[in-house]
Amino acid sequence: MVTKACTRCHRIVEGDLCEVCNLATSKNWSGFLIIVDPEKSHIARDLKIQEAGEYALRVR
Amino acid sequence: MIYAIRTLVGQEKNVARVIARNVKNSGIGVSSILVPESLRGYILVESSTNLDMQNPVFKVPHMKGSIEGEIPYTEIKNFLNPEPILSSIQKGSIVELISGPFKGEKAKVVRIDESKEDVVLELIEAAVPIPVTVKGDQIRLIQKEAD
Repeated sequence: MVTKACTRCHRIVEGDLCEVCNLATSKNWSGFLIIVDPEKSHIARDLKIQEAGEYALRVR
Repeated sequence: MIYAIRTLVGQEKNVARVIARNVKNSGIGVSSILVPESLRGYILVESSTNLDMQNPVFKVPHMKGSIEGEIPYTEIKNFLNPEPILSSIQKGSIVELISGPFKGEKAKVVRIDESKEDVVLELIEAAVPIPVTVKGDQIRLIQKEAD
């Protein structure tokens, strides 16, 4: 199964549309980040991620 | 605090997913797990407490152990904002193709399409110069500007 990433929020999803932004997703992504606790995570704060989940670092 | 965990090459994402799932159920202080593309065989775990590798949370298939000590946050900042591949390449640069049918060939950059991250190249050793369009991640910079 091909995983895709939203071009705006970088969230990793399985479908062709991001459920949150309602935008097209892209197969072409790299770098992988799992946010478990967005409130405590320094990385999430830096990347302005407010929800837990799986994210790509670079999407095109 | 950030710690590095060694994994089997190619299994980084799977290990990260399993650890993330275990962490959620156990309530230990891991807040995020980072898998940088450029760092093969390692994952970076952000945690508010010391990682106890004896904890069953970290008993995951394909994991090969951990690296002693912490990694300063400033060192992983580069992984968070990967530099666009094409930023260092300019028209006239000499590059090597690293994948595709022309793998190993050297070429000169003719044109760059930054929005699509496409590069138009001309193979140096070809008898007749034919423009070839490839993606920016299929090339490696050899020489910034042709003499």
